[in-house]
Amino acid sequence: MQKTKGVFYDGLSSSPQSLEIILDKENSSIVFNIISENLSWKLDEILVEQTGSNVEIRSSAGKQLQSIKISDPEFILQLKKIRREKRLTGFYHRLLDLGFRTHAIIAICILAAIGIGYVLLLPWIAERAVVFIPDSYDNSIGTAFFERYIDYTSIDSVKTKALKQFASQLNLNNTKEIKFTVVRSKTVNAFALPDGNIIVFTGIIELMMDYDELAALIGHEVAHVNNRHSMKMMCRNLAGYFFLSAVLSDVNGIMAVIGDNIHTLQSLTYSRNFEHEADAEGLKMLVANKINPKGMSKLFKRLQAKYVDIVPEFLSSHPITENRIKFIDKTISGTKPLIIDHPKLHTIFLQVKGD
Amino acid sequence: METLNTSEKKEYKLSFDGSGSEYFGIVIVNWLLTAITLGIYYPWAKANQLKYLYGATSLNDDRFAFHGTGKEMFKGFIKAIILFIVVYGIFFWLISMRMPVAAILFLYAAILGIIPIAIHGSYRYRMSRTSWRGIRFGYRGNRKELFINFFKWIFFTVITFGIYGAWLSINLRKYLLGNVRLGNMSLNYKGKGADYFVLNLKGYFLSIITLGIYIFWWQKNLFGYYINNLSAEKDGNEIKFKSTATAGDFFNLIMVNLLILVFTLGIGYAWVVTRSMNFLMNKIEMEGDIDLDSLAQTEDVYTDATGEDVGDMLNLDLVT
Repeated sequence: MQKTKGVFYDGLSSSPQSLEIILDKENSSIVFNIISENLSWKLDEILVEQTGSNVEIRSSAGKQLQSIKISDPEFILQLKKIRREKRLTGFYHRLLDLGFRTHAIIAICILAAIGIGYVLLLPWIAERAVVFIPDSYDNSIGTAFFERYIDYTSIDSVKTKALKQFASQLNLNNTKEIKFTVVRSKTVNAFALPDGNIIVFTGIIELMMDYDELAALIGHEVAHVNNRHSMKMMCRNLAGYFFLSAVLSDVNGIMAVIGDNIHTLQSLTYSRNFEHEADAEGLKMLVANKINPKGMSKLFKRLQAKYVDIVPEFLSSHPITENRIKFIDKTISGTKPLIIDHPKLHTIFLQVKGD
Repeated sequence: METLNTSEKKEYKLSFDGSGSEYFGIVIVNWLLTAITLGIYYPWAKANQLKYLYGATSLNDDRFAFHGTGKEMFKGFIKAIILFIVVYGIFFWLISMRMPVAAILFLYAAILGIIPIAIHGSYRYRMSRTSWRGIRFGYRGNRKELFINFFKWIFFTVITFGIYGAWLSINLRKYLLGNVRLGNMSLNYKGKGADYFVLNLKGYFLSIITLGIYIFWWQKNLFGYYINNLSAEKDGNEIKFKSTATAGDFFNLIMVNLLILVFTLGIGYAWVVTRSMNFLMNKIEMEGDIDLDSLAQTEDVYTDATGEDVGDMLNLDLVT
């Protein structure tokens, strides 16, 4: 029979009372003697809390906060053993008893699960969720942005008209009406809004040498609209943000901040995937219109040559240009698309350029 | 056993002997359970972590104990959610009725009104569920009184463009700590709003002038102002609390904690907590003539954790 000395607090005063405590395995209880009165606590009616080498035993049966403090390692070992044998320790304590190494492994596994869920599962779910967002929502945010944006720019109405005419010659396979606007600016850029507004800066048009390059740019932007890339991006950004802050802020603030940064990096690669998709579909559009698909790589090479040091805006969130050109060349090589000359497109292209 | 009768008069020792690796296990296991249950386990996780941190803190070699349960906190959690749903429900209803100004005013008033009630509830719950040597802590503040005072202080703070904020902090601290007791021993705080204002003003400007280096002295002063004005009283006897922390101590604490967090990508959080607890307990000295063997049980049990959970949702760090 295991025996040790302990200190008892009776829940009425803070005055310590020393006692002898016996572990009664047969009756599965601990027995002790207070002021010539024998007391016994059932093992299933006590809380055992260990910190360091000390153990505090508290009765969970009575209303009073009575406790016994012991520090005899042998007694503690026996007490824990018998409680485990009788399955009196909850799963929580069993998990705690697994030890540091197991805990570290659990931590790594949770982080890995979060990572996998975030990189693979979340984009997939977010993209499918876009189906449930009505098209009218794309239109209203796109139009709202366009109206606010266009006030601060100078529209070249002559070139805008020419560009519209140029696009009308092409079969764009578009899912919604596409509206073109040419804006006077040295910025080498063009972008598509979710409502089908495509804005092209004069800066990027000036660099182009032929109509196939302009057709490539249009094909690329229309692909963004057709695939609802903006909306997918928004869904994924929101979902990713909520997901990461939900799972990480539980641990601590720093993790949440790290999560946010990972998220920014991740959404960059994600937008690169969209650029790839837009390039690929743009190429298809060129081929379908019997225009030389090389127009796309020609355009990128020109952008690249012009900006050796600084990255033009059109390319910044886009895949590294070198890779993109390689990707396009690889897609084109081997195929022998039917290409014919388009004198009409050439004429309109010159009007768009303003030559 | 030798711990008997060691708590002689005028001998007090606060210490923290929790270990980072033990606490790490607790944080990770609770994280796992919270993740698996999609967050429902959160109240239990919080109770488990508090239990460990309290249990690892001791006064004269006897541990503090936290008796709160996940179940109590879960009930509070549900009540807190319902409260927020009602508040936001009214807010959006007002918006839909095209009364945006009324909606925003209502939201501000509701949240401001919730804060003192949450503080009160949180203190009552946390104190009532904490004990030392089987003697319960207690909070005897009056909710209505705190509510009225709080609004008075907020009003002064607004009309003085925030300057009264220093007085608000100190008044609040005075009221809250002054109503805390451990059995028949009660706490007392005697800070002054004006001193606190000057302390912060000085800290702010010197930190700017010294490019942030003064922050550690500022921290030391703030901690000192908290601890050195604190005392306990029982039957005419007194214990005074004293901070022994230096600016160098704070530099060491803050910088090393930062390095741990950065280099472990946040996983070292458990060690940061145990280091900080250890620091706090080691830097507080107690002097006086209260016989800690003579405390008597005076407080009732209080199990409503709503205040605690509302505080969590508003991200208030209520009880420190």
